[in-house]
Amino acid sequence: MNESDTLPVPRGHASRGIALWRHWSVPLIWLALLLALTFGMSQLEALLRLIEPDTRQVLYQRTSLATLLGQHVFVVAVASVLAIVLGVGGAIAVTRPAGRDFLPLVAQVASIGQTFPPVAVLALAVPALGFGTLPIIVALLLYGLLPIVRNTLAGLSGIDPGVHEAARGMGMTRGQILRQVELPLAAPVIFAGIRTSVTINIATAAIGATVGASNLGDPIISGIVNGNTAYIVQGALLIGLLAITVDSTFERLLWRPMTG
Amino acid sequence: MTTERCSPNWVLLCLMSAGLLAWLTLEAVSIAPNRLVAGTPHRAHEVHGWWAALLAGLPMLGVMVLAWRPGTRRLQAALALVVGLLVAMPLWLATAVMALADPDIPQARLGIGASLWLLLFLWLLVLIELRTRLNLSRAFGWLLLLPVVFAWWLSLSFWLEPLALYREYQGRSDQFASAIAYHLTLVGAAVGASLLLGIVLALCMRRYAGMRKAGFGLLNVVQTIPSLALFGLLLAPLAWLSARFDWLASMGVSGIGWAPAWLALVGYSLLPMVRNTYVALEGVAPAVIESARGMGMSRRQTFLQVRLPLALPVVLEGVRITTVQAIGLTAVAALIGAGGLGTFIFQGLGQAAMDLVLLGALPIIGLALVADALLGALAERLRHGGTP
Repeated sequence: MNESDTLPVPRGHASRGIALWRHWSVPLIWLALLLALTFGMSQLEALLRLIEPDTRQVLYQRTSLATLLGQHVFVVAVASVLAIVLGVGGAIAVTRPAGRDFLPLVAQVASIGQTFPPVAVLALAVPALGFGTLPIIVALLLYGLLPIVRNTLAGLSGIDPGVHEAARGMGMTRGQILRQVELPLAAPVIFAGIRTSVTINIATAAIGATVGASNLGDPIISGIVNGNTAYIVQGALLIGLLAITVDSTFERLLWRPMTG
Repeated sequence: MTTERCSPNWVLLCLMSAGLLAWLTLEAVSIAPNRLVAGTPHRAHEVHGWWAALLAGLPMLGVMVLAWRPGTRRLQAALALVVGLLVAMPLWLATAVMALADPDIPQARLGIGASLWLLLFLWLLVLIELRTRLNLSRAFGWLLLLPVVFAWWLSLSFWLEPLALYREYQGRSDQFASAIAYHLTLVGAAVGASLLLGIVLALCMRRYAGMRKAGFGLLNVVQTIPSLALFGLLLAPLAWLSARFDWLASMGVSGIGWAPAWLALVGYSLLPMVRNTYVALEGVAPAVIESARGMGMSRRQTFLQVRLPLALPVVLEGVRITTVQAIGLTAVAALIGAGGLGTFIFQGLGQAAMDLVLLGALPIIGLALVADALLGALAERLRHGGTP
């Protein structure tokens, strides 16, 4: 889809730039804040000292915050990409004639599974897979699949059967119908599912710091264990900013100008 | 008898062949002399021998045969077989205890192995599949689990004392009961507060459009912030407040404990609650309101006797969503000392005691499923039942 479809863009390069800026300004500002805090936390030492006046160490220095942010994003990205591929792929497979037998079960599991608390899923992954990054990625993947599968199924089944017939009447093959009709029509609903999934994954990954992954949850856990509120604030601020940045990016991606 | 010509049910065939494979190849149980040592694994055929293992696999084969030509009768028979299998699992474990437990080591622990966990999961999937194919109601699905629960209870109280999970429970049965009570109290307090606050906010939003936009925007941001971060962000200001104001401290408010947990839970619960209440109140058809007014009802009467009852199922849906969500989030709140079942999870993770982790995680999943089922059934009832 090209940009001018989604943006109320007047002609000319300069104004196009302004429109683009207006469209993306919110996530960009959050991103700038996130990066500024990640790399410049040491500038805030005086402020953090206000929170923990009696502690010698107020800056979390076991690992650099940038590394932790990178690892957090990496784990969430790997799990989410796998969840998107498997979830959308699986939902497409069970809505084709060959896989239709599996549709009721997959739909039921996707809806029942969402009742499971993410922490519990994470906790169950550890006995099965051990400590470290792998169980977290698997738990995030499994849990992240559910909203994606559910929304993809909803999006695909929400398409008017008349549209199908019209497409077939035009002589489109099954593959063409899927790529050119079904997926574009279902895209907004699928994206909403991906957004939910990624948001949950960012939060669950942080809890993963308790099972031996190193990410932005680390300063929080270490702050709780050592009674150092300054550590907790650093980790919490960065995780919060990361979540808001990603969420507002999705919001802009999904934004349609026809709301007015 | 009519011969039903229909194609095989591939779902059942796949699930059951995976189950058979797991049963015959993966470890079924492990036995350890005490809590610290890793157990020695035993596969099913290493417990009672090959013949017994194959015999125990027969019902699964039976389901596969029935699934080949799945008429209604045959699916019902398959359903009976699966419930039978689920009932048999704890009984089989009891026989495994008798075969493997060494009477000289009274502290021996029996761990449930990968194959049994996998079978449990696959059989529950089969149950869901059969329930869907046979168009059975959700309530009936729950009823089917009653004999299974009874079998577990029976085995646990008589023969399964060495089960590692049960040993963990016995070591802290008082703690366990109070953890569940505390967990539910925290969830109830948070959901109750957010219900009241949510209704007030939704009513305000209906009146003032500006508040609607700002309110939903703010609640959306709160909902986006990861739980661990929100608990952490509340910790500092609450610690500061309790240090400044003695009456807060005397109420038990501090940076850790129930106060930040409760506040965060209310914050998370507000968005679904307000959204559902708002949508529900707005969703009542204008014609209904008009006819109520035409009948001479006052504004107040219209609201209390028409709009609110009609909106109730959707509001209850909000209560369901927030309750399930809060049960999970309260588990995370154990990290900041709020107590509840999450304590077992994080203690277990800290001591690498996986059975303790399970002791926390399984009841949390159970509570979430039960809350979801009960509140869902209640909403369904209100929707169809004769509310005034």
